[in-house]
Parts: sequence; C-alpha cells; structure tokens
Amino acid sequence: MGRTRLRTLRQSGSLKLVFPKRHTQDVEAVLVNTAGGITGGDRFSLDVDIRTGAALTITTQAAERVYRAQPGEVGHVTTRVSVADGASLNWLPQELILFDRCALRRRLEIELAATARLLMVEPVVFGRATMPEILRDVMFQDRIRITRGGRPLYIDGMDLQGDAATHLARPAIADGAGAMASIVVVRPDAERQLKPVRAMLPQTAGATTLADDILVIRQLAPDSFALRRNMIPILELLSNGTLPTSWRL
Amino acid sequence: MAMVGRIRTRMWRRHMNTEQDILTMAQWFSPSFPVGAFAYSHGLETAIQSGAIVTASDLQCWLSDVLIHGSGRNDCILLRAAYASTSDTERALIHETALAVAASAERLLETQLQGAAFCDTTAKVWDMDGQHLCYPVAVGAAAAQMQFDVDLVAMLYLHSFAGNLVSAAVRAVPLGQTDGQSVLAALTPLCDQIAGASRLASLDDLNSTAFLSDIAAMKHETLQPRIFRS
Repeated sequence: MGRTRLRTLRQSGSLKLVFPKRHTQDVEAVLVNTAGGITGGDRFSLDVDIRTGAALTITTQAAERVYRAQPGEVGHVTTRVSVADGASLNWLPQELILFDRCALRRRLEIELAATARLLMVEPVVFGRATMPEILRDVMFQDRIRITRGGRPLYIDGMDLQGDAATHLARPAIADGAGAMASIVVVRPDAERQLKPVRAMLPQTAGATTLADDILVIRQLAPDSFALRRNMIPILELLSNGTLPTSWRL
Repeated sequence: MAMVGRIRTRMWRRHMNTEQDILTMAQWFSPSFPVGAFAYSHGLETAIQSGAIVTASDLQCWLSDVLIHGSGRNDCILLRAAYASTSDTERALIHETALAVAASAERLLETQLQGAAFCDTTAKVWDMDGQHLCYPVAVGAAAAQMQFDVDLVAMLYLHSFAGNLVSAAVRAVPLGQTDGQSVLAALTPLCDQIAGASRLASLDDLNSTAFLSDIAAMKHETLQPRIFRS
C-alpha cells in the first residue's frame, strides 16, 4: 500500500480544505470554515470519496460555532463520505458548539465498503460554559448514518427543540452535562479495544461493542475542556497515536 | 366467459377491532406472553445501583424520558414502519435499521431475543411465517398480518414496555407494589401521546437524547452483581 494522494478537489464558498504536510502514508485534510461559524440559512456540504486502499484523516481547524439564527432560518450541514475496500477514514472534527437560538440540521453519512475501516468522533458542546451560554431556545437536528455494503450499520440522531438546558438537566438525559461525544470504531480488532477503553472512561461514559468489529463509546462531561481531556487519550489509542495536531490540548 | 385466474380466499377485514382482536392484543402484551420480558431492565438496573433511581418519582422521571426521548419513541417508529411494510425485503431493512439504532450490546440482545420469542410463539399459535425480527418490527409485522389497528398496537406495546420496566424497578429498587402501579398509571397518558405523535414519523426520525439511559445500558455489561440480562 503506497501513499495516499489527492485525485480531485473542487471547493467553493466559505468551506475550504487544507492539506498539511505529514510524514506518514495517509493524508490529513483540515476543514476550514472561513465564515467563522454557522448561522441560519447557511448551507455547507462536503462530499468525499476515499478510493481502494487509501487512508484519509479529516479534522477541522477549530471548533465550529453554531450562532444564533434569524427567526425562520435554518442552517444545513451535510457530509457524505464513501470509503472503498481496504481504505480507511478517520473522521475527527473538533467540537460543534451550539449557541442559544441556533437552528441547524446536520447530517453525516458514511458509506463503508465491506473491508473499509473507520474511526469517527462527533463532539457537541451545549453552549459555552465560560459565558455562560444557556440554551433556552434552540433547534438542532443531528443525524449520523453509517452503512456497510449499503446496509445500515450504525444509526444515531439527536433532536433538541426549545429549552435544551432544562431538557439536558434531566437524569436520564444528560444530568446537566455541558458536552457530549460519540466515538465509533469499525475495524476487525474493534472488540479488543473495549477493555482498555473502558478503563479510561469516567463515570458519565459507556462503551460497548455492537459486533466484534464495531465499538461505540458515548461520553458526557461537564464542559468541552473536560470532554477533550477525557477523549484525547482514548482517541490517541484508537488512532495509534496519529491524532491530528489540531486535536492536541 | 371471463376466466378467474386466481381466487383469494382470505377475507380482509377493515381496521375495526373486534372484541376478539383486542383480547389477542392483550394476550401479546401480557407479562405471561413468553418473550421473557421480565429478564430485561433496559439499563435501569445500573441507574438503580448507582443511586440515580431511589424513589418512585425518580423512576417516573427516568422512564418518561426513555419513553419520550429514547427507545420508546424509536420502537414505535420501527413498529409502524414494519406495519406499513409491503415486502420481506422492506421488513429485512427495517430489522437491520432496528439493530443499527440499538445503543448497546445488551439492548441488541433484548430486542433480538424478545423478537425471536415473539415470532416463534405467533408462528405456532397464529400461523405467522416465524422469520426472526427485532421485537418492535416483529410486533408491527404481526399486527399488519392480523389487520389490527396500528395506533392501538403501538400504544399497548409502549404500555407493556413501561409496565415491564416498572416491574423490574419494583423488584430492584425495591419499591412498593402500589408505588409501582402509581408510576405506571402516570406513564399511561404518555403511551397514548407517543403512539399518536409517531404516526407521521419515518425511519429518518429515529433519534435519542436519553444519553444517560443509553450509557447505563452500556455500563450494565460490567455491572456486578446483577439480576437482569440488560
């Protein structure tokens, strides 16, 4: 397996991709939103094909802020990545930070071929803790769909509508947590990572395997800093130490 | 003379529930129907051991979120999709969707084993095809075959789901029997509301914000000691 190279790149508007030089076989792509955030009415879409045997890590330059939207306007972020046989994707964006009165529909679709590999993280922060930003009236609809060979493999979604702060304070919901992350690993040795990962988790997190080759981690934390501090060693382990520099504290 | 190529002998009833239909639904969702529901706590046992659920009001709060924002609503969506499905291929996709949306290994076990037991029993008693499906998908498919009213089936499904978890908590907390019944009575209007609200939902609406319920289900895998399978 040789080096991964870029075949085609088309970009327009405020979503840019930059490719830092790395001394590894895989390619790292950093998403840059030159608009500095997302607001109502914005439309972002990203379409990526990873061909046979290629390895791509995608991250973001910074945490993505979802600002207050004008009434009736909804932002849309749609990402589709297909990963061919023998190829791998590390989908490692930094946090999505929801502000009060944001309105966003987000969708991530990852299509895996039979022998494709995946490491995915999706961190969401419920308002900036330092302000403090309280989510009294938001609209956030998130969908994550991972398929393999066209069949559903992992489905997750989150709907927040209205007073999210009160909702998230409830004991079976988030017990007042300010940040959450989901991690999904799809690869043959996923089951073997379960035990070491569990040993690294705080009380407000859980890990499970949905099959021998699918590991899922869900973690809540008081704020984005605590979330990051807990997640970094886990992501270092799961990415074999190739976590993008933008992820380091 | 016109030829009749094929005569359908099956008589299709309208979606009007006869008294017998209602009694059959009551049978499916009774605790004595052999799906083994009593063995599963849906992660509740973890929340009880960690002290998140101590009183009847804690239980009511926790279960109402599981019903409205977690598995309850999602199961309703899956049940309705299976009810509306028109082919084995479509049902297989809904079954796979149900597996993909399961939050943990034990949740998978819970929906697969109860579904398999439901399919086995309905195959023998009501002559259904017996193909193993996840529990809500199996119920939806069977209800369609019986021409039952799907709103009523969805409501009863949720009510039995809630009743089973209340009964698990009565044993594990422990709570008094009367407290348990009060919690179930308080959850009853929700079953009606959620079943109704899921009428227009599609599989794309599957989502959960019952994060700590899902985390509790994951942590149950290593909980010691434990009496439930989930």
